[in-house]
Amino acid sequence: MYAIEAEGLCKTYPGGVEAVKGIDFEVSEGEVFGLLGPNGAGKSTTVGMLTTTIVPTAGSARLAGHDVARSPLLARSVSSVVFQEAVVDRSLSGRANLELHTRLWGVSPQRAKRRTDELIETLGLSELTDRPVASYSGGERRRLEIARALTSEPQVLFLDEPTVGLDPRIRHELLDVIAGLRARDELTILVTTHYLDEAQRLCDRVAIIHEGSLVALDSPTALLAKLGREILEFRVDGSPERALQTLRQRRIAGADAFAIGARITVPLHHHAVTDALAAIEAEHLRASEIATRVPNLDDVYLQLTGGALRDAA
Amino acid sequence: MSAIAEPVPVTLPTPRRARPASALATLARRRAALTASNPRQILVPLIGPALLALVVAPALKVATGGLHSGIDYESFVGVGAVGLVVPLTCIFAGLSVIVDRHSGAQRELLAAPVPRSYLVVGNLAVALVLSALQVGVLIGLSALRGGVFHISAHGVAWFAGAVLLFTVFMYGVAETLASRISKEEEYVGAVPAIAILPFFLAGALFPISAMPGALTTIAKFLPLTHALALMRYAFVDPSGRGLHDIWGMSNVTAEAWLSLAVVALFAAALTALSIRMFSRSAVH
Repeated sequence: MYAIEAEGLCKTYPGGVEAVKGIDFEVSEGEVFGLLGPNGAGKSTTVGMLTTTIVPTAGSARLAGHDVARSPLLARSVSSVVFQEAVVDRSLSGRANLELHTRLWGVSPQRAKRRTDELIETLGLSELTDRPVASYSGGERRRLEIARALTSEPQVLFLDEPTVGLDPRIRHELLDVIAGLRARDELTILVTTHYLDEAQRLCDRVAIIHEGSLVALDSPTALLAKLGREILEFRVDGSPERALQTLRQRRIAGADAFAIGARITVPLHHHAVTDALAAIEAEHLRASEIATRVPNLDDVYLQLTGGALRDAA
Repeated sequence: MSAIAEPVPVTLPTPRRARPASALATLARRRAALTASNPRQILVPLIGPALLALVVAPALKVATGGLHSGIDYESFVGVGAVGLVVPLTCIFAGLSVIVDRHSGAQRELLAAPVPRSYLVVGNLAVALVLSALQVGVLIGLSALRGGVFHISAHGVAWFAGAVLLFTVFMYGVAETLASRISKEEEYVGAVPAIAILPFFLAGALFPISAMPGALTTIAKFLPLTHALALMRYAFVDPSGRGLHDIWGMSNVTAEAWLSLAVVALFAAALTALSIRMFSRSAVH
């Protein structure tokens, strides 16, 4: 039994929009699992199906062994979710919002008080909890929502775009908080994001979702390794598709090279950068802003999801 | 960070859940706290009906000479105003469900390990308490203004039963609409049809027998007509003229039970419908 299991999970909305097209994955206890993808890729729909707020069209999913369709109450009892948008009672105090969660999740009053006080302290909410949530800043509200989700000591925590809309300082503070959760309570976390640096920093494994399908699933290290140790990046004045085709014909670029707009990215693998530069010059590719760097998850992501241009090349 | 290349199966502990009564009480307390934080939701539904009982009824009594059936007109309208205050209170409660969906904690509640019907029942419990308070205030104000009410244990039981079941019905209507209508503006636009129109047709200001025959027939099918006839039978019309206008029978107690059964039937049907609609519309 896994903490999270999804098998052939599909969601087609009325009108025929296929948001999720049969995805499969498993997440172990204590693992931090990232679901990466652009807006509209199907991340939030997947979280919605796993938290029983969206009904799957096909497939199945289990949380701690409890089927989300057949035993939704049991599945909900072992999980908590921090939604992408604000989901709080704004006119009530922060503490009232926390208490609502502990009571609905059946936490005993003594345990709830101990746990709530501890989380208020840990997440730096001490000065805020008696104020109406309407007076909180975006970052404060997010911290409250994370604290709320943790008061019931869930086995599985869903964080749907937890840092979206926050300024960079608050975003990094919140990432520290989330990173700190890893060490607690053997908590399993599924986090969705389109910030790839977040996934690289937080996750044991990441799944890249594109147009409702999983296009990659591995540890960040393994995904990065597929692009080699160095990539060449340059801007081309002319057709990027033609330039990419030329470099492939000269075997400087492989199938994993890609173009986004006028910018071409070429994983070098076993090639020396001088060979690549020589090829660019010999083919008169009119390249500018030429640079080499270490690959990151952005490259993995763009290489996997920039299908239209890559296929055209 | 340690990388987990492959997932590892584990055995996880048994989940914990709130007891049903505790979960319902928590949901009702939440709704009560939200309502208390917005006093307009409590006061606004009371203003119109109170003016009706305190100003309009006495003025109409003077202008028209009141009813010709020996029933005090101020008391008649004082009870009739209940037919406005309860729908308005329930409509406001339904509006807060839409607010909850758009900018409140509804999704958190949907992700909670409680049956979704509890969310409707928790809100209904608060609507019942609020309606009871407002009806009490309204009848109290009407009595202070000179209305004559015959209060007995038997009458209080009939009155309370009618108010309770009619509130359950109206909240069912409000919750069903809130599930069907996505925008607050559209929901508010439905208020005249739901709250005001039945008020004028159900004999709130005059006996239904005073209307043209066709409208009298329509009025007999409105739960508000039955609820108001029961309330008047309880406090101002012991002979049950309003019930007789509906049923035309000679046994007033039988007529009262029949009207109570009608309101109960509407209440049960709309509660079931509202729970079904909410459970369907809340998830996609």
